[in-house]
Amino acid sequence: MNATTDPTHRSSPTDVAGPRPDRQRKTALVSRVLHRGGLWLMLGGLVLVGLLTSRQFASADNLINILRSVTLLGIVSVGVAFITCGKHYVDLSIPAIMAAAGMAAVSAQGWGPAGMLAAALAVGLGIGAVNGAVVGYLRLNPIIWTLAVSFFLDGFLRWAYAGRQIYPDADTPGGAFFLNLSQAQVGLGGAVLPLPTVVMLAVALAGALLLGGTRFGRKVQLTGADFEVARLSGVRVGRTVMLTFVVSGVCTAIAGVLLTSMNRQATFETGLGYDFNAVTAVVLGGVALNGGRGSVVGVLGGVAVVGVLLNVLQLAGVGSFGQMVVKGLVFIGIVAGTSAFARKVGRE
Amino acid sequence: MSDGPPLIQMRGVTKAYPGTLAIDAVDFDVRAGEVHALMGENGAGKSTLMKLLAGGFGDYTGGVTVRGAAVRLGTPAAARAAGIAMVHQELSLAEPLSIAENLLAGRLPRAGGWAGRWRLDRRALRDQTRRWLTQVGLDADPYTAVEQLSPHERQLVEIAKALSTEPAVLVMDEPTSALSRREVERLFGLIDGLKRGGLGVVYISHHLPEVFRVADRVTVLRDGRRVASGPIGAFTSEGLVEAMVGRRVADARVCRAREPGAVRLKVSHYSRRGFFHDVSFALREGEILGVSGLAGAGRSELARALCGIDPQESLAAGPRPSIELDGAPYWPTTLDAALRRGLAYLPEDRKNQGLALLNTALQNVRSGRLAIARDRRGDDAGRRGVFDRLAAALQLDPPEPGRPAGQFSGGNQQKVLLAKWLAVDPKVLILDEPTRGVDVGAKQVIHASIAALADTGCSVVVVSSDLPELVALCGRAVVLRRGRVFAELAGDELTEDRVLLAANGERPARAGGAA
Repeated sequence: MNATTDPTHRSSPTDVAGPRPDRQRKTALVSRVLHRGGLWLMLGGLVLVGLLTSRQFASADNLINILRSVTLLGIVSVGVAFITCGKHYVDLSIPAIMAAAGMAAVSAQGWGPAGMLAAALAVGLGIGAVNGAVVGYLRLNPIIWTLAVSFFLDGFLRWAYAGRQIYPDADTPGGAFFLNLSQAQVGLGGAVLPLPTVVMLAVALAGALLLGGTRFGRKVQLTGADFEVARLSGVRVGRTVMLTFVVSGVCTAIAGVLLTSMNRQATFETGLGYDFNAVTAVVLGGVALNGGRGSVVGVLGGVAVVGVLLNVLQLAGVGSFGQMVVKGLVFIGIVAGTSAFARKVGRE
Repeated sequence: MSDGPPLIQMRGVTKAYPGTLAIDAVDFDVRAGEVHALMGENGAGKSTLMKLLAGGFGDYTGGVTVRGAAVRLGTPAAARAAGIAMVHQELSLAEPLSIAENLLAGRLPRAGGWAGRWRLDRRALRDQTRRWLTQVGLDADPYTAVEQLSPHERQLVEIAKALSTEPAVLVMDEPTSALSRREVERLFGLIDGLKRGGLGVVYISHHLPEVFRVADRVTVLRDGRRVASGPIGAFTSEGLVEAMVGRRVADARVCRAREPGAVRLKVSHYSRRGFFHDVSFALREGEILGVSGLAGAGRSELARALCGIDPQESLAAGPRPSIELDGAPYWPTTLDAALRRGLAYLPEDRKNQGLALLNTALQNVRSGRLAIARDRRGDDAGRRGVFDRLAAALQLDPPEPGRPAGQFSGGNQQKVLLAKWLAVDPKVLILDEPTRGVDVGAKQVIHASIAALADTGCSVVVVSSDLPELVALCGRAVVLRRGRVFAELAGDELTEDRVLLAANGERPARAGGAA
């Protein structure tokens, strides 16, 4: 385009991106509601539906149920939020990492509690680092690459353990410690909370500080907003992307340990479905799928919405297949909504 | 040249953008069997005229006749029907597909018979493609994938594709920018042949030697108007340059009087294989150094390499390269390392390289500091105070830190981008096309702030294809040609004519400059 000498720059076709002011204000309002308030409105609505349709909903048992069901998803989602925020969507090898971390921990029970945790975290960190290096430095498509890794890990775990489950042994110090992880209660300022919930709160707090209050978090957001701009701002984009996968891998491994402890067995199936649930929660929580924006508080809100939604469906007698259909529809709706929004405010 | 009505004749053609006339009452015609060169500086209206010929605008005014009959070039289909075909500067071939499929895309030959509608006639596809490839002198299998071809071969495919529509007029936009010297000669041979075959060629370029080699007539545009037109024999290099540059009322030379300080950056024998060779220059404290040259001369590549953005590969032979920054050795490795040493680079493409358009102006201004900040949150220099100071100095309109960068006008986006790098407080700031696509008002503000920056002792490198800008801003300029320093112009020698001639590989005939 030919725009070197254009005194009326405000009206030049090349110079103004975005819609006219009045429409602009309207989209801004819609976006604000969608991105800030919408989530909490949705959560409130779901709670209301729960209260109206089921007497059990507000019972202490059910609330603890919800909390349990969202605890692990919360831990995974905080990690995934880093990847999504850096515009690499999701790590599809999450279920495989959870399974591998659980199996590694149980296999290491001879080494005592510390050895078991170290083995699990090393698995999460290692797989995350490999995924991150391939995606960050070699620039392979994250969806394709992590899908391939998940197939590989799934096959590898079946092959290495001949398709068997393995069990923590309560008679060893490591096994007893491991089984207790998901059962222990922690007193926290008067309230008694399950240990996994405390872990989730700690992970969320650490994640919020890392994403919202550090240089690393800023770099992730800038890389997600525009990879080339970040690179030309001096951000080492390859390393930044790799670290988002490492953060996610470690969070996933923590969740894998807790889930294995809860199930009292480690199998290659542990963690099935967590990848999809996590990315649904993350996107619901306002982390832009096209990168650059998002907060951990929003992600926790998204996790809560997913948890309450599934709980309401369950109380209403919708089976697990029906729940999957609804989850899929919600995800489709969110992606359609946010893409339309992104197109509206996106570059010309 | 033949008699009879021209293949295409445009009279008083005008195309307006809001607030500006991109081309203003231009007359232009092409006859059978001639090459008509269209010249002008960036922004003179060449691209607009070409796009108009291609049927890209429905809202031009003025008359166009094809072989004497009036036509309206409102759509690409109308342009095709008028017999006009384009060879674009940026090649537009689908790389994984074969030559044949690219060439005949959209009108692939069908097999005969009842089911032929859905079947491809591969033999006909091969034979037809061969025919066109022979015409452009490319000896390749029609089923070769385009991605396996060299830039020159791709261009020949592009030309063959244009010829396959059997046009009367072929428009070529800067066709030599990706070619070696020998390939350029072969291309000219091809053009001569096409000309003899009765084709009319519009040749858009600002390479003087090429135009003298290939053109029969030349038309020069400046600021959207036709300022010169005639047979090529009636022009000299200096005459063409003067027509392109014009005798403008000189922009106030912003900073000629300043006395530069000690040497800040000393570059010796610096090379990057395939991009620039054996480049040496020195940059002083408080100096504004221009870097000029034609597209592909290695300007941006030099700037990016100095800041560690592109990978470093030096030539093995030749004198040892070295760079000194304030007397200490410096070798670019990564951009963040360069930023820590005080070098910064403002990229040429603000929308894809400079600004995250959905992020706010404040976030963008902060982001330059991010890689080198020492505090935990990475915004030590990015607080509101810094933003407000820079926004005021650059007259950012509106001065709203929370507004997404993409919602500013082009000129104000460029100000945000400049503020981003001013916030870094660099010792050496390299500006790649600091005012491309920016309105006059913003341009003045940006020029003034560059001059003010130099007054504070910062050394500035301005890489620009905008000659008036270069001459107005810089005390000295290095002209690159084919990756080498062809000339260094300073003081009274630094004129638009001299720079343009040097960029074209010509030494000035007259002493003392022309303008």
